[in-house]
Amino acid sequence: MRADRGIRARITAPVRAGGSPASVVAALSARKAVRSGVLWGYIFGVAIASSEITYGRLYKTAAQRDALAATYGTSKAMSALFGPAPQLQTVSGFTVFKISMTLMILGAAWGLLTSTRLLRGEEDSGRWDLLLCGQTTRQRATAQVIAGLGVGLVTLWAVTAIITVLSGRPSSVGIGVGPSLYFSVGMVATAAMFLAVGAVTSQLAATRRLAATLAAEFLGVSYGVRLIADAGMGLHGLIWVSPLGWVEELRPLTSPQPLALLPIVAFTAVLAVVAVRLAGARDAGASILAGRDRGDAHLRLLYGPSGLAIRLLRATVIGWWVAIGLSAFLYGLIAKSTGATISGSVKEVFSKLGATGSGADAVFGVCFLIEAILIGFVAAGQVTAARSEESESMLENFVVRPVSRSAWLGGRLVVALVALVLSGVAAGVVGWLGAASQHTGMSFTSLLGAGVNLVPPAVVILGIGVLTFGTRPRATSIVVYAVLGWSLLIVIVGGFGTVGHWVLDTSVFHHMASAPGVPPNWEANGIMIGIGLAAALIGGLAFRRRDLQGA
Amino acid sequence: MHTSDTALRTEGLSKRFGDIVALDHLDLEVTRGEVVGYLGPNGAGKTTTIRLLLGLSRPTEGRAEIFGLDCQRQPVETHRRLAFVAGDANLWPSLTGAETLALLSRVHGQVDEAYRDALIERFDLDPTKKVRAYSKGNHQKVILIAALMVRPDLLVLDEPTSGLDPLMEQAFRHCVHEAKDRGQTVFLSSHIMSEVEALCDRVGILRDGRLVEMGTLAEMRHLSALTVEARFARTVPDLSVVPGVSAVEANGSMVRCQVRGSIEPLVKVLASAGVTELLSREPSLEELFLAQYGADCRAG
Ligand SMILES: Nc1ncnc2c1ncn2[C@@H]1O[C@H](COP(=O)(O)OP(=O)(O)OP(=O)(O)O)[C@@H](O)[C@H]1O
Ligand SMILES: [Mg+2]
Repeated sequence: MRADRGIRARITAPVRAGGSPASVVAALSARKAVRSGVLWGYIFGVAIASSEITYGRLYKTAAQRDALAATYGTSKAMSALFGPAPQLQTVSGFTVFKISMTLMILGAAWGLLTSTRLLRGEEDSGRWDLLLCGQTTRQRATAQVIAGLGVGLVTLWAVTAIITVLSGRPSSVGIGVGPSLYFSVGMVATAAMFLAVGAVTSQLAATRRLAATLAAEFLGVSYGVRLIADAGMGLHGLIWVSPLGWVEELRPLTSPQPLALLPIVAFTAVLAVVAVRLAGARDAGASILAGRDRGDAHLRLLYGPSGLAIRLLRATVIGWWVAIGLSAFLYGLIAKSTGATISGSVKEVFSKLGATGSGADAVFGVCFLIEAILIGFVAAGQVTAARSEESESMLENFVVRPVSRSAWLGGRLVVALVALVLSGVAAGVVGWLGAASQHTGMSFTSLLGAGVNLVPPAVVILGIGVLTFGTRPRATSIVVYAVLGWSLLIVIVGGFGTVGHWVLDTSVFHHMASAPGVPPNWEANGIMIGIGLAAALIGGLAFRRRDLQGA
Repeated sequence: MHTSDTALRTEGLSKRFGDIVALDHLDLEVTRGEVVGYLGPNGAGKTTTIRLLLGLSRPTEGRAEIFGLDCQRQPVETHRRLAFVAGDANLWPSLTGAETLALLSRVHGQVDEAYRDALIERFDLDPTKKVRAYSKGNHQKVILIAALMVRPDLLVLDEPTSGLDPLMEQAFRHCVHEAKDRGQTVFLSSHIMSEVEALCDRVGILRDGRLVEMGTLAEMRHLSALTVEARFARTVPDLSVVPGVSAVEANGSMVRCQVRGSIEPLVKVLASAGVTELLSREPSLEELFLAQYGADCRAG
């Protein structure tokens, strides 16, 4: 049934496109990339517009604007997290400061997810084999997908730019067409670069999951490097080492520096060429890393479904641990120096983000919030991996043998929980290492506690995921990432604006005490773990009663 | 109640997907040691039946048991005694053939390793290759070996030879004969009629979720028409008026027709008309199947 539908889609599309096999690939990729480009461009545009419009309402008088600039503009912690904040007395400066870092990271995430999906994901699913049937080379097909992705990127930019230009027109905002277009270029620049990064990792990695993880790690490192550069440690030159730094150096709306477009364009072009070259150098469906088609048998973990899950998912989970450890270490490094600059209303922003206390404590509060989000991704990844095992009918290999569904799911849950706890411990221990190296004077136990404190929200996400998996399996991935995305959005919005308490409560991260500034709230944590496990239990019971379902 | 001779048994087993009735009150019984073929046009409900037997899907109505164990309530106990091969199964791309077989033997618990190695040899499989590097046929061999190596009491096979070359198809038939000789029961769903004809003691034909025919090949042939070809020295008689005869095609002095029921009236007419050559042939399973399916097409 579903296979029929898939094949029909594959067959009609080329007929409609009516071109050579390679241009069919380009057309299909472009169609998918454009669709998500429109959606994300809309989100980008609305985010920019809302920032431009709210500035005038929030900061009416010159005095208010000066106060804003005096506090935010000089805080090293703010600049480390969100980038430098010049000209906060203007709507332009405020908009850049308020949303550019968020959009840069979102754009990068869009880029790497879209390109790994359309390159490695499509290839993994075997669709390419059907489309190509040996009529074109993998190298040419990859070039065509990249062309399709380029069309998606232009769409993202165009939609962002249209909304930005329109919202800049009112006299209360007063941003011209030229600066608006340039700003939009800056906001999609990370998308361009990470489309290319994803294209390269798609050639390197054997699975889409690993390709996306590698690209995300590169994003994490880029963010970390520019964080150090902006943390006022006398290392601002490092900004030129990070792709995110180049975008920062475009300085849209404040003091434009179009020269910074050079490294961005060069980086994107070089990686695109490298991706196409690598595609030509490997076999269909194979990869550069671990691309061997033969191997000795390694039977150590292959005793059952849980062991296999560990073997198959360890690369991805270790990737997350690297990201968590690296970011925790970076925050540990800058905690002392940037913490000293937190005062006045900056403190308020930090506390809205969930951080209490002052100095290093507050920096760690925000740091651990970000770690909590990363650990949330680990949880979501575990649930979606379990669902893919079902939808790709790998699960059948176990449950037609003497393995009960409960044993399979229970094993997967235990693996997931261990991964989450170890993630939390890693965040605490490595954060402490970073802090200790700067003699910040934070105690090991308090940071370890703060690390473990990050696990309960992830358990809630895990539980909601398993509940969905048991009751509405096909919605699993959408629901977990929606819960995560929503919680993240509430955290970001809650950090700046005034959001009602009941809205904040819908974010799983809101119920987590912001250790180490305050001690972990073990009672709330217990409730979260209870909710998560109860949801997982109900999901597990529902899973036992239902049909196994394909994609 | 089942007797201890029953390997597989369903009672009013039904499955609906929304409005689609995929399986409609199926009553089926397979005796121990039997090799039973399970046929039907695409979408007849064969895979649906097998998924219900394996506990992968939940029945809308009815029940199924294997060796007296309830398929839905005691899946683990049932699965200890059976092995399943699907024609469209997926394996883990990053494991090698050897790793896959090792994992699946450990999951099953009781595997005769010497027999496993013999099977690898017989099917000419290179187990050092990763699953992603296997061709369709080699991929299928891994799945077949994984099932056969367990030497289960019941083999449930759903289009098991899809993608195999004729040589490997032969090896597969050899394995099924071996299984039968050892007293294993085989439930084989297939579109390859020669395979079913060569292997199966009994055959069931499913159409639109209903079992429309079940019996030995001999029984089913009996129900069906015999093809008769005759050549005449003199003028060709009109055979279409003879009782039981249908589908008469004349071609010069040659006539071909089909006979149902007793052949006696036809023989009498032929004898008196001066037949010089006579050829009669029992229908192949393929013809039986096409006759069944064809009736459906004409009706629908
Ligand atoms: N998960 C499902 N959801 C909806 N309908 C389904 C599902 N699975 C099977 N069906 C429908 O049930 C009917 C029987 O399908 P089944 O797969 O059992 O056929 P089959 O006899 O195995 O056919 P084939 O010879 O093509 O393998 C078909 O009409 C099919 O479309
Ligand atoms: Mg089928």
